[in-house]
Amino acid sequence: MVHTTKTLGMAAALLGLMAALAGCNHTKETGTGGASTPSVAPVGKSLRIAVVPKGTTHEYWKSIHAGAVKAQQELAAKGTNVELLWKGPAREDDRNAQIDVVQTFLSQKVDGIVLAPLDSQALVSPVADAAKQKIPVVIIDSGLNSTDYTSFVATDNKKGGLLAGQQLAKVLGGKGKVIMIRYQQGSASTEQREAGFLDAMKAAPGITLISADQYAGPTVDTALKSSQNVLSRFGSQVNGIFMPNESSTRGMLLALKDAGLVGKVKFVGFDSSADLVDALKAKQLQGLVVQNPFKMGYLSLLTTVSAINGEKFEKSIDTGVTLVTPENMSTPEIQTLLNPPIDQYLK
Amino acid sequence: MSTTAPPTAQPELSRRLPPMSASRLLSLFGPFIGLLLVTLLFSIRPEVREHFLTTDNFRIVVTQTAITAIGALGMTLIIISGGIDLSVGSVLALTSVTAAICLRGHQSPWMALLAAITLGGVVGMVNGSLITALRVTPFIVTLGTLGIARGAAKWLAQDQAVSAPATWLNNLVATNPEPAWLIVAPGVWITLILAAVTAVVLRATTLGRRIVAIGSNETASRLSGLRVDFLKIGIYALAGLYFGLAGGLQFGRLGMGDPTGNMGAELDVIAAVVIGGGSLSGGEGSVLGSLLGALIMALLRNGSQQIGWSDYVQDIIIGTVIVVAVALDRLRHRQPTG
Repeated sequence: MVHTTKTLGMAAALLGLMAALAGCNHTKETGTGGASTPSVAPVGKSLRIAVVPKGTTHEYWKSIHAGAVKAQQELAAKGTNVELLWKGPAREDDRNAQIDVVQTFLSQKVDGIVLAPLDSQALVSPVADAAKQKIPVVIIDSGLNSTDYTSFVATDNKKGGLLAGQQLAKVLGGKGKVIMIRYQQGSASTEQREAGFLDAMKAAPGITLISADQYAGPTVDTALKSSQNVLSRFGSQVNGIFMPNESSTRGMLLALKDAGLVGKVKFVGFDSSADLVDALKAKQLQGLVVQNPFKMGYLSLLTTVSAINGEKFEKSIDTGVTLVTPENMSTPEIQTLLNPPIDQYLK
Repeated sequence: MSTTAPPTAQPELSRRLPPMSASRLLSLFGPFIGLLLVTLLFSIRPEVREHFLTTDNFRIVVTQTAITAIGALGMTLIIISGGIDLSVGSVLALTSVTAAICLRGHQSPWMALLAAITLGGVVGMVNGSLITALRVTPFIVTLGTLGIARGAAKWLAQDQAVSAPATWLNNLVATNPEPAWLIVAPGVWITLILAAVTAVVLRATTLGRRIVAIGSNETASRLSGLRVDFLKIGIYALAGLYFGLAGGLQFGRLGMGDPTGNMGAELDVIAAVVIGGGSLSGGEGSVLGSLLGALIMALLRNGSQQIGWSDYVQDIIIGTVIVVAVALDRLRHRQPTG
């Protein structure tokens, strides 16, 4: 067939183009994302611990990864070698992909798993399988409707939502019309934030919720569309907005800029990324509730190793939430929270 | 889904100059009727109408439509030629990541946009070449490239969203454009100009007639001396350029390249073409219809959210519209032409 050679030529051209593009991508060369990255060359027998995030594109997960690498380095200094296997679904609503990742690690007989379940129900059965195989699972970030796990290392999300609500009520002077767009169905951590926020709204009698039943969806793009549609209806009357995670906060920020409402509407978001911190500095956001993912990654790995070695560990660890405002954002402790030493640990 | 010629294919001449039969009228005005019904649906309740039927909201919806619409234009060419391309969503992600990486590497915005468009064209050419060389149905081949392009996007982006400095690309799909006399975003104008060009190509050029001929009866086209394989590669490559442009706009919209974005966008794009009267058995499809199809879907999402309907209601309604459109398509085919 004449076409076969032509096809091969084209495939080669495509590969060449991609290589060229990859070449122009000269910021960071090492992959830190989806692929399993054994970070330290194992000396003698080492523990293989899998860390499974909810997704890999949000900066939040990079901080968790960096924290885990810090714990790994400290453990290595004490003579315990840990091989860190970092792998998650690329998209945060892909339940099947995350179940597959966990099951693959189980069949590889890893020594322990750190898991951020992206659905409180869907991940119950793989975690039960792990318990049957006596593989300890430390749940991080988001709850699981199960008792099969070893320890729960997470933010008090309800408290985070409450803090966000109180800040929004404060900057609104206790009155006004407020919108909250939910993240997505089934995500326990954001549902608790939403519940905490609604509690704070109930405690502020001057505030009316005008929309709280729409969903932002899993990506910045879906959040942007959803925000535009809701703002189109309520943009003329809304005074305050709360969004429950990083991608939805970024999407709403883009929508507010697009509608020319940025800075006019009081806006409190959740989690941080470089552009959200810039927006806070520019007072386009009146508050960001930030967690401590670096600490979460760090403590979860230490807890897993303790569990594997039969040492004492905490059944439940709260890693803390902090309200960051334009006023307090330049203090040293907030700066460490906003800029965790990711580059130091993920090279 | 059959992508080869249906057994009872009519000769292509009668396709080109169909009389104004009931079926022709239905396919011409169907999308308009759909648009009207959707608009009416959300205008019943006065408190929704007040915000729904406004120029500002119209501007938001057409801007949201631009990316899907450009994709639908490319898909119209493919579907008329009797093919299908499932890799669109992945190509959007791949090309938007490409644009972001080029900008981050201090290339000019023009270069970034050009890189996105070119890469889209290359993926299209690969699709067309594989389809003709392997003699495998487009459905399977593009199902494969859907995965390959998505993987390439994640690889290029190192599994992270790629942020890039702000440039005029971000203004292309801004709801309130600068300068203000443009009324709607430059991206919307690009869509309309591209649509006009595509319509002219389809109706008034030899290339357009050949595309319709291949879709109507591939064997007959081959026997009458058309270089079908060559044309097919060209069609997929051309449509790929459209998808690359849409990817460039997608980048502009977010100011970042998201390797996980636009998953399932191919279904929106195909649905737009089908709602607009395109037939998955080839030979039929309309540029205007596809534009309206894309608009109807964006309008449905927008209206559902304004009314406060839940996610699931929106999904069910959009699904229903697609089924109704396909049912109409079948109905048309049962009626004798002329």
